[in-house]
Amino acid sequence: MISLQGKKVVVVEDDTWYGEHLLRILQGEGVTCALADHPAKAIDLIDEMQPDAIILDMLLTGSTGFVLLHELQSHSDLASIPVIVCTTILDSLQMKHLEPYGVKRALDKTTMHPEDIAVALRGVFI
Amino acid sequence: MNGESKATYQEMSPSVILHGDSGLIAAAHELKAPLALIRQLAFLMEDETITIDQKKRMAMQTRLAAEKALRLTTDLTKVARLEDALFQLEPVNPAAICEDVAKELDEYFAAHGKKLTVQQSRSLPLVIAHHDLLRRILVTFSDNALQYGGEEVRLSIKKNSRSIRIAVRDYGPMLSPKDFTAIKRKLMTPQPVHARPQSSGLGLYIAGQFAHIMQGTIGMTRHRDGVSFYVDMNASTQLQLL
Repeated sequence: MISLQGKKVVVVEDDTWYGEHLLRILQGEGVTCALADHPAKAIDLIDEMQPDAIILDMLLTGSTGFVLLHELQSHSDLASIPVIVCTTILDSLQMKHLEPYGVKRALDKTTMHPEDIAVALRGVFI
Repeated sequence: MNGESKATYQEMSPSVILHGDSGLIAAAHELKAPLALIRQLAFLMEDETITIDQKKRMAMQTRLAAEKALRLTTDLTKVARLEDALFQLEPVNPAAICEDVAKELDEYFAAHGKKLTVQQSRSLPLVIAHHDLLRRILVTFSDNALQYGGEEVRLSIKKNSRSIRIAVRDYGPMLSPKDFTAIKRKLMTPQPVHARPQSSGLGLYIAGQFAHIMQGTIGMTRHRDGVSFYVDMNASTQLQLL
């Protein structure tokens, strides 16, 4: 099993309680992670941390995850960072539309289990 | 990056573009977030390695998330009955309602590291309203401000020429004109889920319906450092008649 120890992850989630629990799970796996509750803060954090992956909610306060995905794609140094989408609207999204944005995995918040986030993260590092 | 291969969120979610029963679908989506959080918390509380303090915090978050979902379902029920039910309007004290709202949401705000305050005002007339509906409008505005705003959210009351404006002011980042327009649109109609940032605007739409039944209107004002959502209610002439 791939170790996540030492990996760096930015979690973009405007529900701070949900984000808090994602951080707890990731930290339990040895991941260094930080939470951004809106895309502008996420860009700052991503610049600062240069993460190995980004976990992204799609419905964000005052914005959507697509704003951040567009922004990431417009920077050559950020475009290749793998993104895992974690959202309640997965049934409204199609992976073929997300993949061009660097989205490698998509998780449905309404059905996922806590361990799924680490499994998805390992998946993008294979 | 090939731009042509991309689709906007709006384009890629035709299944949620609403044609008829928009309120029902918006409500379902609105409820997903607290339910998903509650479910996740339940999983985490089963973990035997978490501390008692962590468990207590999760239990508190579970309760507050459930209460938020219940507020929405209660409001939806009320909206569905607006035409049938008789909501008797009477002179009510807006300052007392603001205090009630601040008290009701105190724990919810504190749990998010925020504070809901009431700006004290003197010598304001009563408003013609239904106590519970007006309270629910202000709870909705406050809940909305919690998502958007900075650490403090403030309730205030101001007298205009013939009406009383009760506002919920947040100190979050300035909204772009585009977002401001989008949110204003939500005040008028429940938006399809594709149009929403963070929320469907269902709560704001419900607040508008409640205001309408009380002959009031809701609106919003953009500030350099945040937004005010307000409801304008008719002032009671009761005192002038004495």
